Amino acid sequence: MALSTTVSQKKLIKRKAPRGFLKRVFKQRKPHLRLETNSDLLVHLNCLLFVHRLAEEARTNACENKCGVIKKEHVLAAAKVILKKSRG
Amino acid sequence: MADSYSRDSEPTTRTLLRRVLDTADPRTPRRPRSARTDVQRALLQTPSSRRLRSQTKTTARRCSNRARSVDRLARVQASGHLEEQTPRTLLKNILLTAPESSILMPESVVKPVLAPQVVQASRRESSRGSLELQLPELEPPTTLAPGLLALGRRKQRLRLSVFQQGVDLGLPPSQEPHGNADASSLTSSLNLTFATPLQTQSVKRPGLARRPPTRRAVDVGTFLQDLRDTSLALAPPDTVLEDTQPFSQPLVGRSPSVHHSLPCCSHSGAKDVERAASRRTWSSGLGLQNNSAGKAAQLLAGNVEEVDALAMGFPNISSNIFGEDGVEPLQNGVGEEAEERMEESLREVEKAAEAQGSARAEELEGHIEVTKAEGSWGAVEAKEPEGSSGDGDTSGRIASPELASSTPEFLRARRLQFLEPAPPPSSAVLPSEPPEPLSARLPPKPRIPGSRPRQDPYKTGLNHYAKLFNFYAKMPMEKKAVEMVEKCLDKYFQHLCDDLEVFAAHAGRKTVRPEDLELLMRRQGLVSDQVSLHVLVERHLPLEYRQQLIPCAFSGNTVFPAQ
Repeated sequence: MALSTTVSQKKLIKRKAPRGFLKRVFKQRKPHLRLETNSDLLVHLNCLLFVHRLAEEARTNACENKCGVIKKEHVLAAAKVILKKSRG
Repeated sequence: MADSYSRDSEPTTRTLLRRVLDTADPRTPRRPRSARTDVQRALLQTPSSRRLRSQTKTTARRCSNRARSVDRLARVQASGHLEEQTPRTLLKNILLTAPESSILMPESVVKPVLAPQVVQASRRESSRGSLELQLPELEPPTTLAPGLLALGRRKQRLRLSVFQQGVDLGLPPSQEPHGNADASSLTSSLNLTFATPLQTQSVKRPGLARRPPTRRAVDVGTFLQDLRDTSLALAPPDTVLEDTQPFSQPLVGRSPSVHHSLPCCSHSGAKDVERAASRRTWSSGLGLQNNSAGKAAQLLAGNVEEVDALAMGFPNISSNIFGEDGVEPLQNGVGEEAEERMEESLREVEKAAEAQGSARAEELEGHIEVTKAEGSWGAVEAKEPEGSSGDGDTSGRIASPELASSTPEFLRARRLQFLEPAPPPSSAVLPSEPPEPLSARLPPKPRIPGSRPRQDPYKTGLNHYAKLFNFYAKMPMEKKAVEMVEKCLDKYFQHLCDDLEVFAAHAGRKTVRPEDLELLMRRQGLVSDQVSLHVLVERHLPLEYRQQLIPCAFSGNTVFPAQ
């Protein structure tokens, strides 16, 4: 192998993926399934993109209401749209 | 002049014979044709001179017509000559058969030979042919200048045309083989020569002869082996680096001390034993993965026990416990949490008992400082002090012994920043708990083994993404909005797991693989024909993850990750 699969101490990854958390969540909900190593990272990527879209939508809602702060309602409305979109 | 020049340049028997022939009075019907032949001869005579060659070329073109007629006559005469078998003819034949340097240079050979010939045209062709036929028998060809060769080739081509005309006219059989051999020198199509052309060529240019380069076949096997060895040599340093983590060694060292401390606990008292036993069972039931320092847990457990003991009024026990703490090596720590807990416990200790407390506090402080020094563990722990653990301190603590068992996993998954709030055990016992948002969030429900850890780390995980939401939004957010985000994330995870299950089942698998994820993203509209998955990986994930996901070629003809 050219690269080691683990990261050495010196490399401090910013914005690390909570792999354990994701794996645990998946295991708890679907105990009969297994999650592969690299798909773990892709799930994290998916979450990032979801959150990104949600944030964009919420920001748009807040700006439309000419509000400087994101409020619950904005988030709720945004979530409705984005969850429907990311149903797959 | 040309003759003399030619003679001087090549003082061979051939030239001598030539001279003889020239000077001698030929009986052959040379004279009548002397005008034409002389012209041709003069044209042809000058050897090794480009001027001559060019002239001959031009003359050849001009005299092509003449040559045809001359050829006919020459052939007739040549045949006549051969039949006569006079000394003259013999000498001529010798001259004809005189060795030429090479087939490539028939011109140079031909030139001097042809000059004195009675029938130049016939001589030319015949000489070429005969010379070539008899090349191997005669002397080694003389090395000729490359210019001659080149010129010879050029002339050859011209003469070939002439020759071909002669062939068309109908050469006598004696001439034809010569002609054929001659032609073969030009085009290697009709090859009647017996000598190997290559041989002459090589003999002609010994210095330029190409030898097959002596190559040693590369031993691919050993080469790869060497690569592997070097890679292996490289790998250990990484692992060594990882192993030299302050966390790892203490953890390793802790495991014995964990066991060590457990018996010590048993020694301390029945109560402690019960508590420890209950905790152990509890912890085993919990099955927590995150390691966060078994040692820290131990220490905290010790602290809690100590606090309890103090509360109960058993200084001996506490001292024993503290002794354990002292024995325990440095804590890697859960990091800030452990420190906070220890600080809290420290405060409690100080409040509780002065004399003992001071001594222990110093120890604790020492421990805390050590942990602080070591625990540059993860920023996530900062979130966790939420303790969220209002009740579950003990359970969290109990998780510690089993965290010790899970240390190897910890070593492997070092990236896990999401450590359980295993450490904060003392906070539960501590009456005063720092106000944490999560603690307020947690409903004061009765402890059910299995449900609490599900909620707590789950919340912390969601909090991780909620903070990302905060970052992406670039606007201030209310607390309620953050909670709202967490709810949405919860729903999202549900959908995600369901979809992945469906996709994996569709593929007949029980393991979710990256292909399923790609399909999911494609369905979500994140991945399209314009935007590929790799692009998204590059954009949003850090480099280390990108290296793991996207196959890349490395040295040694390897691709990582292997496809």
